[in-house]
Amino acid sequence: MNEIILQMEHIYKRFPGVLALNDVSIELGKGEILSIVGENGAGKSTLMKILAGSYAHGSYEGKIVLNNKIFTAKNSRAAENAGIAMIYQELNVELDMSIGENILMGDWPRKYTGFVDWKKTHKKAIDVLQTLNVSIDTHMNMRNLNASMQQLVCIARALVRNPKILILDEPTAALTESEAKNLMSVLRNLKTQGISCIYISHKLDEVFDISDRVITMRDACIVSTYAKSEIVPDKIIEDMVGRRVDQTVKKNIFYSDNEALRIEHFRVRHPYASHKNIIEDVSFHVKKGEVLGLTGLVGSGRSELLKAIFGAFPKADGQVFIDGKLCKISSPEDAIEKGICMLSEDRKFDGFVGSMNIRENMTLSSLKKISSKSIINSKLEIKLALKYFDYLKVRSRSTENNITTLSGGNQQKVILAKALLTEAKILFLDEPTRGIDVGAKSEIYKIISELTEKGMSIIVVSSELPELISLCDRFIVLCNGKISAEYTAENISQNAIIHAAAFGQKEILESQIKRGCL
Amino acid sequence: MNSQRRNVFSKIMEIKESGILIPTVIFILIISLVNPVFISVGNIFNVLRSTGFTLITALGMSLVLIAGGLDLSVGSVLALGGCVTGVAMTTYNLPISISILLGCIAGLIIGLLNGIVIIKYKIPPLIMTLGMMNMARGIVYILTKGVPIYPLAEKFQAIEQEDLWGIPKVVIIAGILAIIAHVFLTHSTIGRSIYAVGGNRNAAQLSGISINKINLICYSITGILAALTGVIMSSRLGSAQPSAGVGYELTVISAVIIGGTSTNGGSGTIAGTVIGALFINILSNAMTIMKVSVYWQDFVIGFILIAAVVIDQLKKDRMLLIGMNKKD
Repeated sequence: MNEIILQMEHIYKRFPGVLALNDVSIELGKGEILSIVGENGAGKSTLMKILAGSYAHGSYEGKIVLNNKIFTAKNSRAAENAGIAMIYQELNVELDMSIGENILMGDWPRKYTGFVDWKKTHKKAIDVLQTLNVSIDTHMNMRNLNASMQQLVCIARALVRNPKILILDEPTAALTESEAKNLMSVLRNLKTQGISCIYISHKLDEVFDISDRVITMRDACIVSTYAKSEIVPDKIIEDMVGRRVDQTVKKNIFYSDNEALRIEHFRVRHPYASHKNIIEDVSFHVKKGEVLGLTGLVGSGRSELLKAIFGAFPKADGQVFIDGKLCKISSPEDAIEKGICMLSEDRKFDGFVGSMNIRENMTLSSLKKISSKSIINSKLEIKLALKYFDYLKVRSRSTENNITTLSGGNQQKVILAKALLTEAKILFLDEPTRGIDVGAKSEIYKIISELTEKGMSIIVVSSELPELISLCDRFIVLCNGKISAEYTAENISQNAIIHAAAFGQKEILESQIKRGCL
Repeated sequence: MNSQRRNVFSKIMEIKESGILIPTVIFILIISLVNPVFISVGNIFNVLRSTGFTLITALGMSLVLIAGGLDLSVGSVLALGGCVTGVAMTTYNLPISISILLGCIAGLIIGLLNGIVIIKYKIPPLIMTLGMMNMARGIVYILTKGVPIYPLAEKFQAIEQEDLWGIPKVVIIAGILAIIAHVFLTHSTIGRSIYAVGGNRNAAQLSGISINKINLICYSITGILAALTGVIMSSRLGSAQPSAGVGYELTVISAVIIGGTSTNGGSGTIAGTVIGALFINILSNAMTIMKVSVYWQDFVIGFILIAAVVIDQLKKDRMLLIGMNKKD
């Protein structure tokens, strides 16, 4: 192999209550493209953040040796100076500055008078873009470029500082297929210049195409390493998913044949890559009392789809039918009125109001219900809040405590109470047990089961496949903006889902089934 | 005995507004001792009257700040209210009640404009209301051609100049409005929504609250109240001044913030705003009585505003630390 330029040895990273990295050691060779794969929460981002300087030296245990020097970066600037550059998934460029200004951002060459030497700036920009096989007028504004070009500018910006290692985090999330192919050839080009890459992605076909080596991570540990010649997709997926013995709730079947919700031909624009659709054409239905699982890779648009149906996110096209009737939903207010309620992915961002107490948070979606002529009926409010407080077993001394004093699991219960109080018939749960301890998790599973017993229809988005499999009656997998596969509880397995999510092709799946791999 | 005293003390500390109430009380005591003129009947009514003028608009401003917004245009709207009423009465000879109504409607229109542009074009409230501050002032000068409208009808002047049961009318109006505002904020669905929008805009929206409706209501109410204040003020002065209310917005905003409303939104009380308005006006009055130079008065008011926010921030930091310990 080439000379080793990076060694991370026995890295441990702890957060309060969580061990994010457990004795992780990796090596990187000069001019090597190393991919790290693993499910959400496996530890990939944490490991890269340490390398990129986001977690300062001293906040983790272990030794990092870069080019035979101990790596002690306290911030991202220091990491940059040491030769590490990170390209983030969300393109962070100054849209109203020129390409040249962006590429030399923060390091514009100066004349002896102290003023910026713009001639030199643009010359340097042109030179570095040439190494990427791009010739473009560097005086042009960033706004005029598409996502792929903007990403190339980000890479150029990194290259201008002569990095030894380029870290790319989900680089093709905002790119079309042809733009992604272009990126691959750019990376191969960099290889020949001796620059090493660490490539983080969920898109396994890309990973298998570009990498010299693949490392799999699971539950904060390194599971295995494969050289390019050793890559066996099934094995890698198995390493990512692992065998987990989880306390799962025995699932009973409660659904009837009546359709509670049907959506047809939904199209949703990408939230930050305006020329792309994150959802191209999705149609599905949910029956009364059914639990439908919605899954796919990070960036597949699950949350955006649910938010678009709920009226919280603009949709480009699509129709919603509730109980067979076409409904117009243009705001969460409409959706709640029609009987749909939603728990979002990030409860701190848009789940609860931190300045309010438990009772006020619980009744926030049902203000009309607890008031007459716009004046709130305090007695009724307290009665309803207590009812759900007890039913969901919220652990707090009283409903008057501020919601931020609760643990994550109990906060989630309060937000669930808010949804149940609206007497919704259809519930969207987006990562309902994210960041919640095991005890609260099983309580929430039980509640979901009880709700379906009463005829409620639920759509669950989850990245934790064992959880999804134990909760749902049916599963839909999203990939490239479309439904790539659909399963029922009988014919499901974790490997099947990951295949469909990663490769998005029914054919690969069917061939696997035939070969008896699933 | 000691434990009883401690209980009373901690209960007083628990009142949300104790942060501003106690300094106000202490301040009153000190001033009264230094210069007894302060607590003369005439002076007390002076303080109450000027507090009333601040408070009426501060009630609307409280709603705006709690919802997470800001309104810098209230000073100009005050002048607009007074001048529209004045022009309606003197130039068009409209009846007094219609004129007052027109003045308030002018304020409503400005408030609606503020709200609509902020919502539709997603402009920061600071910028929109700053621009409106200038625009509204401009409209006032255009309407009045820069000349104060004087004198105003006797019957109109009588409105504020005649006290009711010995109390200045502006104080009574401010008091009634304050009670209505308190009930509105704490007991109505819109009041609850205002706290939600200010506390976490995204969560409020996802919970089904119409951010647009709430913003529109807050800015409209503030516009009406500012115009109403202008109408009452021109009744008191007997003339409608195009230059009225210059700098008024700073007094009003300071009153609300000193009263405990956070600039981030999501928290604040009417009671706090009342005390804040009192405090600012007592401060101005005290400095005048003690013959403090006018130049120093600006400095002191600004200083107190900053101090109030710093103290509030320190309190929040301490609470955050304690909150963190609680969870573990």
